[in-house]
Amino acid sequence: MTGWTLALRQPPTLRVDLRGITPLALAGLSALQVAQCPVVQGNQRLPLGEFFSVAARADDVLLLDGDLSRFDRVGWQLDGGRLQVQGSVGDHAGGAMRGGELCVQGDAGLLAACEMAGGWLHITGDVGDFAASNLPGSLDGMRGGVLIVRGNAGERFADRMRRGTALVVGDAGDFLASRLVAGTVAVGGRVGAHVGHGMRRGTVVLVADTAAAPPTFVPAGGDAPVFWQLLARELARLGGAGSAFAGLPQRKITRHLGDLAADGKGELVWPQ
Amino acid sequence: MSGGALAENGGLRQNGGLIDNGALIHNGVLIDDTFAEAFPMKATRLIVTAHTLAWARQAAVSATGFATSVIGCGCEAGIETELSAGQTPDGRPGISLLLFAMSGKELAKQVERRVGQCVLTCPTTAVFAGIADGEAIALGKNLRFFGDGWQQSKLIGGRRFWRIPVMDGEFVAEETTAIVKCVGGGNLLLLARDTDSALAVAEAAVAAMRALPNVIMPFPGGLVRSGSKVGSKYPALGASTNGAFCPGLRGLVPHSALDAATRCVLEIVIDGLTEADVAGAMRAGMAAGLGLGAAGGLLRISAGNYGGKLGPYHFHLHKILAGDAA
Repeated sequence: MTGWTLALRQPPTLRVDLRGITPLALAGLSALQVAQCPVVQGNQRLPLGEFFSVAARADDVLLLDGDLSRFDRVGWQLDGGRLQVQGSVGDHAGGAMRGGELCVQGDAGLLAACEMAGGWLHITGDVGDFAASNLPGSLDGMRGGVLIVRGNAGERFADRMRRGTALVVGDAGDFLASRLVAGTVAVGGRVGAHVGHGMRRGTVVLVADTAAAPPTFVPAGGDAPVFWQLLARELARLGGAGSAFAGLPQRKITRHLGDLAADGKGELVWPQ
Repeated sequence: MSGGALAENGGLRQNGGLIDNGALIHNGVLIDDTFAEAFPMKATRLIVTAHTLAWARQAAVSATGFATSVIGCGCEAGIETELSAGQTPDGRPGISLLLFAMSGKELAKQVERRVGQCVLTCPTTAVFAGIADGEAIALGKNLRFFGDGWQQSKLIGGRRFWRIPVMDGEFVAEETTAIVKCVGGGNLLLLARDTDSALAVAEAAVAAMRALPNVIMPFPGGLVRSGSKVGSKYPALGASTNGAFCPGLRGLVPHSALDAATRCVLEIVIDGLTEADVAGAMRAGMAAGLGLGAAGGLLRISAGNYGGKLGPYHFHLHKILAGDAA
């Protein structure tokens, strides 16, 4: 398998759809064939070489180098291999990915990891609204895999999420984990209003948040030390040393259950 | 292995010697030139944790109770080892259990029944798979329905756990555990001059074996006094007492294996995850017994087999002692 470095020549004037540009799709192609892969800009299909210079790599990584803020659907439906971006990306980064590893050394736009079903998505910067959520018209959001956001997240993070683990090391906006069906969401910083609005099941860990539980949640009477140790150790591992998650296994928790307004059985977890 | 090859072993030559019938004498103890015959089985390992080690042990003892022989108990089970808080998935003290059965289907039934009745019911416990790779069988997968709809699953680090509400909080069980092919029925027969010495030697052997991983000795205290042979004078019975090793029948049965000095025989049955594990345990047990030697009342070490026609695993005592066996 051959890796490639695609270095951005200059930022495009219009947004470019990068769907189909994945490590597995480009593996085995010649440099010329890679440069001729079609991508869509506006209503035009243009060769990849219009936007990037192509160079082979010794490893199997597909590296996109440059500010790709105007490139959408980076890693769309990724199902294997390693895709790295040295710079920010546009909307739908890692959307519907099923496997593999996508690492963005920068920010991501709207709907990052929307309907993600597997694999690893690591974003060192911020993500926009509706990350780990669903595509418009769909009932289920993120449904598998691991999303780690080192920066901050916008509103509606993990809206309708059904499965998987989504971490935000920084802050998160309003309606965090709204309509959560299941899965695990953890935020290391502060969160906005209406946490867990309408959540059905799942776990939301609020590491540094001190706000009161929403009125449609009830305090949990029983302890859950085994569950917490299992989850805390995993969050500490995913968050890494020095993150807000690092000391979680040593902290006890309080939990609130709900959202009773939606007949929910989810839980909001506050480490003490 | 031939007796001649054994004699070439320097360690054996120093401490023991061969006699005419191929048996070996070591520290005054006769070691028969025979083998233990063992069978393929299916096994799994469970990790039971609890608020304290005492409660983990309570659950473990219950879950491995009445599990001495697949013939009458459905499975053979035992405590493998105790685990410190740093060795368990949830950071609490725990116990590692091994369960063996003749088929994966029977093992699945036994795991579900025993965990459901003995671990789920025991205060503060949780249960986890102790083997990662292999065919998956249900652990908490079906027990979750005890939660009556309030149960919740949690996928953590690629492993699915079920959280079942119970009166002391919640019972956490991993969804599945893996089963692997294994070896059951390794054995040693310890022939001693009286009951006291037989128990002392056998207890020392079991203690040495219990220090090893991947094996259990499923009978009470690791010991069996009711060694059996295939068949019976009663057609309804498939097995009956092994008269050849019963001191009370010497002179009565046509082919007693005992001499007049042997007045008590105890057997140790060993189940292990691999052939090497069983051989290692047999070696450790023999070494412990031979350490006490004839002065400790151990007269002879033998092993049970069916002529080598039933089980594919043959553990030759001389090879094991020489370190040549798997």
